[in-house]
Amino acid sequence: MTRFILRRLLSTALVLLVVTFVLYLLLNVALDFFWDLRSSTSPNIEALYESRRRLLDLDTPAIVRYIKWLAGVGGCVVGQCDFGIAWKSGQEVTSQLQGAIANTVKLITASTIVAIVLGIAVGMVSAIRQYSGFDYFITFVSFLLYSLPVFWVAVLLKQYGAIEINNFINDPTMSSWMPIILVCIGLGLFWMGALGGSRKRRLITFLAATIITFATIYYILASGWLQQPSIGIVGVVIIGLGSAVVMTFLSTGLKNKRVLYATLTMAAIGALLYMPLQYLFYYQEMNWLWMIGLLIVTVAVAIGVGLAFRGPDPWDTVRTTFFTGLTIAVLIFSDRVLQGWGEYSDQPAINNRPIATIGASTPNLEGDFWIANLDTFTHLLLPSIALILISFASYTRYTRGSMLEVMGQDYIRTARAKGLNERTVVMRHALRNALLPLASIIPVDIITMIGGAVITETIFGWNGMGKLFIDSMRQSELDPIMAYILITGLLAIIANLVADFLYAVLDPRIRVNA
Amino acid sequence: MTEQTNTAKSPVLEVTDLGVNFWVNDEWWMAAEELNYTVNAGEVLAIVGESGSGKSQSSMSLLGLLPSNGRATGSAKMGGTELIGMPPEKMQQIRGNEISVIFQEPMTALNPVYTAGFQIVETLRVHLDVGPTEAKERALELMRLVEIPDPEERFHSFPHQLSGGQRQRIMIAQALACQPKLLIADEPTTALDVTVQAEILKLMRELKSKLDAGIILITHDMGVVADMADRMIVMKAGRVVESGNAEEIFYNPQHPYTKQLLEAVPHLGTGIEGEAFGADLADVEDSAVVHELEAAHGTADDITTGGNNDGAHPPKVTPSPFVTEGGSDRVSGLAEAAEAASAPKHDHDIEMDSTETYYHPGSQADFSKASALQLRDAAIEYPAIGRKKAFRAAHHINLMIAPGEVVGLVGESGSGKTTIGRAALGLLPTVEGDMVVNGKSIKGLSNKQLRPLRREVGIVFQDPGSSLNPRLPVGESIGEPLFLHEGMKGPALSKSVEELLTAVELPTSMRNRYPHELSGGQRQRIGIARALTLRPKLLIADEPTSALDVSVQAKVLDLFEGLQQEYGFACLFISHDLAVVERIASRIAVMRHGYLVEIGKSSQVVANPVHPYTQRLLSAVPVPDPREQRKRREARDAVLEATANA
Amino acid sequence: MSTNNDKQTALAPDDVGDNAIEAKETEGLSQSKIVFRKFLRHKGAMISIGVFAFVALFAFSAVGFGPIPGWWIYNHTSSGQIVNAGGAPTWSFSNFFSLGDHPFGQDDIGRDNFARVMKGTQISIIVMIIIGLVCLVIGTIVGALAGYYRGWIDSVLMRVTDGFIILPVIVIGSILGKLVGGANGPLLGLALGAILWTGLARLVRGDFMSLREREFVDSARVAGASDFRIMFKHMLPNAMGVIIVNTTLVMSQAIVLEASLSYLGFGISPPGISLGQLISEYQTSFATRPWLFWWPGLFIIVIALCVNFIGDGLRDAFDPRMKTIPSWRKMKKAERMTQKGTK
Repeated sequence: MTRFILRRLLSTALVLLVVTFVLYLLLNVALDFFWDLRSSTSPNIEALYESRRRLLDLDTPAIVRYIKWLAGVGGCVVGQCDFGIAWKSGQEVTSQLQGAIANTVKLITASTIVAIVLGIAVGMVSAIRQYSGFDYFITFVSFLLYSLPVFWVAVLLKQYGAIEINNFINDPTMSSWMPIILVCIGLGLFWMGALGGSRKRRLITFLAATIITFATIYYILASGWLQQPSIGIVGVVIIGLGSAVVMTFLSTGLKNKRVLYATLTMAAIGALLYMPLQYLFYYQEMNWLWMIGLLIVTVAVAIGVGLAFRGPDPWDTVRTTFFTGLTIAVLIFSDRVLQGWGEYSDQPAINNRPIATIGASTPNLEGDFWIANLDTFTHLLLPSIALILISFASYTRYTRGSMLEVMGQDYIRTARAKGLNERTVVMRHALRNALLPLASIIPVDIITMIGGAVITETIFGWNGMGKLFIDSMRQSELDPIMAYILITGLLAIIANLVADFLYAVLDPRIRVNA
Repeated sequence: MTEQTNTAKSPVLEVTDLGVNFWVNDEWWMAAEELNYTVNAGEVLAIVGESGSGKSQSSMSLLGLLPSNGRATGSAKMGGTELIGMPPEKMQQIRGNEISVIFQEPMTALNPVYTAGFQIVETLRVHLDVGPTEAKERALELMRLVEIPDPEERFHSFPHQLSGGQRQRIMIAQALACQPKLLIADEPTTALDVTVQAEILKLMRELKSKLDAGIILITHDMGVVADMADRMIVMKAGRVVESGNAEEIFYNPQHPYTKQLLEAVPHLGTGIEGEAFGADLADVEDSAVVHELEAAHGTADDITTGGNNDGAHPPKVTPSPFVTEGGSDRVSGLAEAAEAASAPKHDHDIEMDSTETYYHPGSQADFSKASALQLRDAAIEYPAIGRKKAFRAAHHINLMIAPGEVVGLVGESGSGKTTIGRAALGLLPTVEGDMVVNGKSIKGLSNKQLRPLRREVGIVFQDPGSSLNPRLPVGESIGEPLFLHEGMKGPALSKSVEELLTAVELPTSMRNRYPHELSGGQRQRIGIARALTLRPKLLIADEPTSALDVSVQAKVLDLFEGLQQEYGFACLFISHDLAVVERIASRIAVMRHGYLVEIGKSSQVVANPVHPYTQRLLSAVPVPDPREQRKRREARDAVLEATANA
Repeated sequence: MSTNNDKQTALAPDDVGDNAIEAKETEGLSQSKIVFRKFLRHKGAMISIGVFAFVALFAFSAVGFGPIPGWWIYNHTSSGQIVNAGGAPTWSFSNFFSLGDHPFGQDDIGRDNFARVMKGTQISIIVMIIIGLVCLVIGTIVGALAGYYRGWIDSVLMRVTDGFIILPVIVIGSILGKLVGGANGPLLGLALGAILWTGLARLVRGDFMSLREREFVDSARVAGASDFRIMFKHMLPNAMGVIIVNTTLVMSQAIVLEASLSYLGFGISPPGISLGQLISEYQTSFATRPWLFWWPGLFIIVIALCVNFIGDGLRDAFDPRMKTIPSWRKMKKAERMTQKGTK
């Protein structure tokens, strides 16, 4: 395995080297290093040309310059990076890169995780309900999403996801209930299709989903929740209990009472710890180190509870309590973040328009850890939605296809013939096998997403690598472009490695053979 | 339909008027109808039929395992519980618990990402209230029951780490986990090699007497039926044509279809005067004793011969003295060290792992004579691709086929028999020794140099579905060699194609059809026609009938024999089925693990095999005759025992 | 599909006169006809073909192509009087329905949006088709050679593909666009085709590799066929499914890519015109003149959606495992009917 990975690493590195070389030469032809001088009427134009040529070392052949560039980059190995300079602004590329890499990674990671989780879930349900109305609907939606240009979606999101919502938050009057009723019915139909069952059961699902959606929206609007969103202890308890039940159902089935009690205990612990945690958050300045510490505590508690209830399969119990605990931890975290909403909105830098359309963070923002986080989230919201929409479609399609393939296999028939119930057949026998080919899609999709980020970042003014690339392209700055190519290539290599690793973990055939 | 009911045994399952339909193209298609049978405890009911007879689907309907467009009607009662139309939740309680299934393909029927042990434990824990430790204990017990070697270690193996036979044993262990009342075995041995099949059949017989379960055995193999069944049902096109006591049906079939079916099955040993090897226990014991003796004092010998076998086998050891007598220059150098092979007839001084060829008298390769095919100490490799290393699939093969002679090449999967066929066509390179086809050496020739030689060889492939280009009308496929080699076109070509079609007894109008429109038998006829287009001197037939149903196989074999006499080509007939080879070939060569281990006249090999592997192979073949098979069974078990660890 | 054909094996008297008729009668469906029939049954694909044909016809006829004039009174460069306030679309439901002078509205200098969108659609379709053709030719040839011969040619192909896939298409596209873009659509199409072919080549390679192991290839070789004949007469027709389907899917990707590049300014830029370029040109006026944003966007989506659905229909049609979609409703109904009948 290690040999395989090393060999792949080496070959991809060589490929990257060739790619940078070819693109360097290509860019030398494509970029116009004198574009700002072309329309200049300055009397010393010749001198300006001459100084530009000396600045960019253009009299040296491109190949030699490439080697020089490579030497500078190679310095990274010994800790002395030299990516060159962006000649227009005179900035060092290394300093430009600092925030940009982190911002892009943030954006891509958030979008990828959400897209994978949603895409797999929806694709799986779509495959199980093959040829149903739900399946056709999801197929249509994913094709629609495939066909949407990112930039178009981004512009729409900016208008309707930010500007209009911000307006609405400031002036919550509605012209008509019609859209809301349509949304409720739509969601009712969605759940009806997704959960399926007999005619009677579908009708019940439809009515329940419609009414619950309506009640939720009504509550949000009537209570002014949008102006002052919060989860509160009631929300934490309700959602906590809900997640306990759902996790148990997915992981071991509700028939396993012991596991159900274990997860319910987790929910109870979450509720009990809610108040003490609020005090902790109040008296202690928080940072990410603290958060990681608390997360570790959560995991420890989850494992503890799981083992305490053990049952015949302690690790099944632990797995379930682990996921329940994680959900509750995220819940309490989001609750605390949302508590800063009022303070955040009222800040002059925000001016009651909380959904951000530009940049990765608000300049001159005052506030603690929680406010800073809230600020990041409001900025992350729109660009990541734009990215998720696009790659959600491909994950859905792949999961659906792969799931259908697996469900037709002989071992699924064997599993059924053993007397396993559908949940076990799907979750234990089908899903794991269906996810295998997905591991090879993930890196490809991440690369596509990096491409999508180029556009999204440009539109939302998100100071990441993509925006750096486009800006530099427009300014004909060679060095930052090369830095972008190099770093994106490295990211792609890392994504591929992770995928190989995932594959090896999931597929025993690879694990043993290689 | 008269049922022979055994009053001593209680019925486990009573099926009345069972029917299965499929919804295809907005219509119900009947897959099976009016099925009536009972299965008693401790009894094997065989359901026999050719592909498409509905034997498998009707049994799956008992468990509600039909595809979503399938529908079952009628009634199937298990101890008063109606199985047809049972709600899924209740059915889940029955599946794996009271009725369990053994599927055909052990390759694909186990989940590749879970260990064998886990999959047995899972079945146990779904139905029984047992903890993981206890379940593991029981799983290990089951694995011991099905005779898996080293169960503690195998428990943690993934399916791909197990051999086909072991996988099928895991499958059986899993099916027996909850001590079901009814076991459905759906072609349990079809995908296995014949010796592995024998082991599994032996196991199933033992288990049958241990457990008091009713067994439904679905199969197309009359030999397996003769070996296992107490009663049997013969199905054709979804209907039962005959049912009753197995022995009665075998010896006194009533329905014409049953008669035809039984006649179509090739019977091992029909070509010789006495009986085939393995019919008599004494026959076997003779050789078994020798083996045991060998085993007793054999350690030192093992080491020496083992050293010889390691890949770099010195070529001079293998050939028989007759090779040198022939006196061809190329091989005369090999003369000196040939001592081992000319063993007298009943000197069984050969070990299982011996890689030397035993030549029955009269079968030595005499390379001086004219021949259609000569392999002179040939070694054949699958060439390296990228990082995959070259794989040597055949070593030191000395084989000769005289013009007009049919030689059968027998072996189990992975024995290298197909490799030899492909090498003879120049599709694989001969890396050592020499390969002479119709008098010309083809060793090291390029594709282009081979082209003129290829008009004298033809090939018939195993899978008639994949050996014809699906995008070409069959007439064009048949005519292609004529077009390429003789530039024949237009009416002349048409005429030739029509003649060939007539020769293989197909209507000439079929030339415009596409392969997928033809049945398996028709496609194989087309395959034969195509191979014979240029009237080759040598034909390689690579398992030409193994994908076909028995009755079709019989017809194709008849046709083949007729054509062989008419056209007079020499033929290398590759097959895993000894009975087929015995029928068609005048000599038989046996391969094992890439070595040719025995060669002789068909009667010699079938009646008096010398190499222990050949003995094992022969005794493993079930014959379609219950009484004879009962005798053979004992012999088989003895041989299996004696040669299992050799 | 091959059930019970044995009945017809009985030899028919071979009358020369009837031969032609008989041959015609027994002429079954070729694989391509089956595929075609399955494709015709795919509703989404059929509707998409209709819509796409309509859009293409409209785009090419309305404003004319090359020297041929169109039937629409305006063209994409002529500016006129601004009719509605701000150049809003003029269609209305007064008098049942009327289009007015500028049904899609006008831009800030009075150019007719309909004419511009039609011209943009034209260019975008042309670019898309050029990309598709380039991918088809290069991808098929390289993929076929690599899959058939393996060895070094295969290694080279795989490394080249690796080189293309470690960077997002849009990045390489931007660089090439900067090099050759501007007002020249076809040239941009060629350049983008030159980077998009690798995916198709990989798939064709995979298909050829598995076809190579099929026995009919061996039997063709034994029959004496040359490598060239094996590749193009025997294997290529069997790989047509993969090729056609994936070329279609590349085209749907291509139209969005061209639009995105033009939007970023590295594809087609003024005076050239394309759907992406139109959105780019008017992006700042979304709040004031939304129609300048909606219409070109709508056309991009419609074209891409149609091509996607056609691709999906083709994939289903070529997939041998894909049986015709059973109609559950009919099945349940038939089941109820039979139950009634038996009771």
